Amino acid sequence: MTEVMNNVLLPFLVFFPMIGGLIGYIIGRRNQGARDFWAMAVTLVVCIGAFLLMGREEGYAAVGICGLGLQMESGGFQLILAVLTGVIWFLTTVFSKEYFAQDKNLNRYYLFMLLTEGATMGIFLSADFFTTFIFFEIMSFTSFVLVMHDETKEAMKAAKTYLAVAVLGGLVTLMGLFMLYQKTGTLQMNELQQIFSVMEDRSAYYCIGVLVFFGFAAKAGLFPLHIWLPKAYTLAPAPASALLSCLLTKTGVFGAMAITAKIFLYDAVWGNFVLILGVITMLMGAILAVFSINLKRTLACSSMSQIGFIMVGIAMQGILGEHNALAAAGTLLHFINHSMLKLVLFLSAGVVFMSLKELDLNKIKGFGRDKPLLKGIFLMALLGIGGIPLWNGYISKTLLHESIVEYIHLLEEAGQSAAYMQMVEYLFLFAGGLTLAYMTKIFVAVFVDKNPNPLPVQKKGPYMSKVNAVILTVCALALPVCGMLPYMTQDRLAELGRGFLGAHAPEHAVEYFAWVNLKGAVISLAVGAVVYFLFIRKVLMRRDAAGNVVYLDRWPKWLDLEEKVYRPLLLTVLPFIGGFFARLAATLTDGFISILRMLIFNDDNGRVIPPEDKYFSAYTDGETDKTVYREGFARSLLMIGIGLAVAMLYILV
Amino acid sequence: MLFPLLFPLIAGIIIGFQKQEKQRNLLVFITIAIELAVVVYLAGGSNTLVVWQMTDRLSLAYHTDGLAKFFAVMICAIWLLAAVFSFEYMKHEHKPARFFMFYTMALGALMSLCFSSNMVTLYLSYEYMTLLTLPLVIHTGTVEAVRAGMKYLGYSVFGAGLGLMGLFFLNSYCTSTSFVPGGTLDQGLLGGNGSLMLLIYFLMMIGFGCKAGMFPLHAWLPTAHPVAPSPASAVLSGIITKGGVIAIIRVTFYLVGADFIRGSWVQTALLTLAIITVFMGSMLAYKERLLKRRLAYSTVSQVSYVLFGLMTLHPIGFVGALMQVVFHAVAKNILFLGAGAIIYKTEKTYVDQYKGLGKQMPVVMWCFTIASLSLIGIPPTGGFVSKWYLAQAGLDPAYGTLGLVGVAVLMVSALLTAGYLLPIVIDAFFPGKDFDDTKLEKKEPNYLMTVPLVLLSAAVLAFGIFPGGLMQWILNISSVIF
Repeated sequence: MTEVMNNVLLPFLVFFPMIGGLIGYIIGRRNQGARDFWAMAVTLVVCIGAFLLMGREEGYAAVGICGLGLQMESGGFQLILAVLTGVIWFLTTVFSKEYFAQDKNLNRYYLFMLLTEGATMGIFLSADFFTTFIFFEIMSFTSFVLVMHDETKEAMKAAKTYLAVAVLGGLVTLMGLFMLYQKTGTLQMNELQQIFSVMEDRSAYYCIGVLVFFGFAAKAGLFPLHIWLPKAYTLAPAPASALLSCLLTKTGVFGAMAITAKIFLYDAVWGNFVLILGVITMLMGAILAVFSINLKRTLACSSMSQIGFIMVGIAMQGILGEHNALAAAGTLLHFINHSMLKLVLFLSAGVVFMSLKELDLNKIKGFGRDKPLLKGIFLMALLGIGGIPLWNGYISKTLLHESIVEYIHLLEEAGQSAAYMQMVEYLFLFAGGLTLAYMTKIFVAVFVDKNPNPLPVQKKGPYMSKVNAVILTVCALALPVCGMLPYMTQDRLAELGRGFLGAHAPEHAVEYFAWVNLKGAVISLAVGAVVYFLFIRKVLMRRDAAGNVVYLDRWPKWLDLEEKVYRPLLLTVLPFIGGFFARLAATLTDGFISILRMLIFNDDNGRVIPPEDKYFSAYTDGETDKTVYREGFARSLLMIGIGLAVAMLYILV
Repeated sequence: MLFPLLFPLIAGIIIGFQKQEKQRNLLVFITIAIELAVVVYLAGGSNTLVVWQMTDRLSLAYHTDGLAKFFAVMICAIWLLAAVFSFEYMKHEHKPARFFMFYTMALGALMSLCFSSNMVTLYLSYEYMTLLTLPLVIHTGTVEAVRAGMKYLGYSVFGAGLGLMGLFFLNSYCTSTSFVPGGTLDQGLLGGNGSLMLLIYFLMMIGFGCKAGMFPLHAWLPTAHPVAPSPASAVLSGIITKGGVIAIIRVTFYLVGADFIRGSWVQTALLTLAIITVFMGSMLAYKERLLKRRLAYSTVSQVSYVLFGLMTLHPIGFVGALMQVVFHAVAKNILFLGAGAIIYKTEKTYVDQYKGLGKQMPVVMWCFTIASLSLIGIPPTGGFVSKWYLAQAGLDPAYGTLGLVGVAVLMVSALLTAGYLLPIVIDAFFPGKDFDDTKLEKKEPNYLMTVPLVLLSAAVLAFGIFPGGLMQWILNISSVIF
């Protein structure tokens, strides 16, 4: 009995929202209000369904779908991701109702939102890379519509970039999967793990691994494929940004985790590769966020930076080999914590946008001065993401930090130089400091600074409905609760995910609040304070004549990878070169024919130039002209036909 | 057995004299429907029929083997849907009777091509197909159309001529010119002429590759498609190009034999040509602004996916190739018919004029979107499945770097395909905030146009999600050959 239940539950979670989306579309054509409630109901059902996965470890296979068939499975790791998806999706859907109150094209939005939920579930529950890939592609396309939703010029450009990166990434990943399947004969994650766990030399697979990784890295916003991320997050509607940041981007992280755990388990070379990209992304996102003067852009760059942190954790799993318990736990927990934090932050940004329709720090500053609830909520998230002890971000960051320190110890014990890892550790703490700095910057701007000429509020009624206030408060309160009770909450979660990530249980429980660990947080705090007071306040801000604060956009315009490198290269240079050769090849035959014509039909030596035959067929303008059959090509054909017929008759008789 | 070959020819002539539009349309529909029914019925059994024994070695003969059934059923089904579409479309073209006459007759030629059981019959049907589709190309009667028709004719006849030349050689080197799975090439008869035979085979492939739009004889496609009426371009692009594919399969796997070619320079050369064509077609499509020509270039590229799969001479490649035949035929028909619907309703032909069309004709543009996704190869559409198998074959270690390059080019081409199809869809559905959509009026065409499109799109999705049945069918065909 339970087996049947399980078999149904997994595909249900994936396909129910998709079907629900289509039904919602039909409902929405008649009644917009009913559609909103329908969408909430669908996401609630999915959310409950995700919880029902608890304690069930079974699989589901749909043979032959799309060729190789779909395979899904549920275990502790999948349970966490499914529940996270279900809950966050439900909350954002409830939040959407108020956010989109006066918007248009909502039928479309809800349809694609629910399709995306199904696809996201499909990715998280997949048991083979084939299934992952199929849902990954579906998700890329459906979420594109969410980014595009506002249809402003900037949003459209951002969405197109998003789609282009997604398509490119998807194809490269597909190429990698082709090669992987060709070489191993399977894409099933557990079978791959078995194959690779006995393999001595994986060097032939690094190239394939990078190809497969490419698409997931693009989705996760990893350097140098991050270009779409800041713009898409900033310009999508707030609930969509929340979904993007909390879940959709995490599908890329999921892919990276799966590759690391199933193909390159305990592989230091792979780990180092991911580490370099992770560290760059972590720093770059943080620096971009420090410079940003747009509320959502800061949050977007922050997402990028935090994903860099997660990637560092994934990398450490590979580098540490058998000792990766801390790294695995840190990765998974930061994955979860970041989703919770960004949910609160993006929805709060949505609250600001609902009232002011603006996100520029100079225009929205001071908005939250008289709104203590929002201020409190935002503060919780700030402290969480900043890694302040007693909040949840601290726990996962500590674990990640610990894993780096652990490796340094291992190196020292082995008598090797640890300078490289030492540097990684410093950069890690520095990025943590920057996190605090940029979060403080937006907090001060929105909730502390005075605004001499505030924007008119464009929203009727209270700035936030009661329902949404409750949602945000509960989510915000969950953050410190998780942080204060790490053994009850965080460690348990980490334990659930251990199997999938191929990690062993840690040798001893981590002393989260011991001085060794607190030290990291203190260093970050100090860095954050220095950066905020000495850099942000001095360089990125100035006071105008009236003594009010003005935020300056000092990010150099020419430092834009997308505009200066990718777009010219991919849209101008490469198509030009390719087009040139293609055109050359294409005209080869026609050119040859015209040269022949010139050589044969020329006036010299008494050769004949046949005139262009205007009576080539009866189809020309001279159609009614009866003479048409008397001369020209058509008549010749006719004569040949008659001749052939006579000859055939002769032969037959 | 003879019925499906002659029936459309006779019916076509009758249709040509029908003045009443309603009656004529009904007649066309019934003819093709009966044709489809008969073909499906024939597909159940296996027949052979010798119509005319010319000499002891040459004869006009037909049979129904797996491959013939496969193509015949597909062609008839699509032909029927495209016909329904043209009932509406031809209202704004002149001389619809003539169009439908040749349209119906061409189906007879195609059936003859599918069912032919030896090389002579195939060659004759092939020429018939060219001649009977020529009137479709030059239907509008403009100077460009006639020029394009001339080009089409020239290229096709030249290509078929190469095929004919090959027939002479095959006649003396093969035990018979009848199609036998695995080939009939006889080593004894061949003697020391192996390398000559390879060259002949290569030239035959170039010749038949002309219809399939393979470089270097591809140039007729982008000229002929834009000038033909849309339903004609749809079938030219979706079906007629597959005529070349049928001929190539027959020659390669049923006469010469895959073993003879495998590993020779010809295989390498043809794979290279296919790869060049794939890239060239996509690249030029990306650069093209006229929608129908863009789609024509896209056909050049997509049909060469098929040739790539066939030329791997690998069972999986064969499966992928035949899948690609089906999915390309369906998707390209949707795209051309969609382009036709747009022209019919709005007279827009350039890709940058399509802003807001998604709101005006949602059904058409949705079908267009699904077909685009399939052509790119995005799951869960059919194109993804075929590409999966093609790539699996291409990556077989036997082909080394060339296979790898081939698959990489397939991916680049997919990217370019996304680049030339998705902007159209995006423009149509997302005109942008500044776009004034109050002036838009509903322009959805009537059911004669939308129903075929919807059915074809449903097929793309259904076969993409459940490719099992189709797959089994193709596997049965390929198991005989390999």
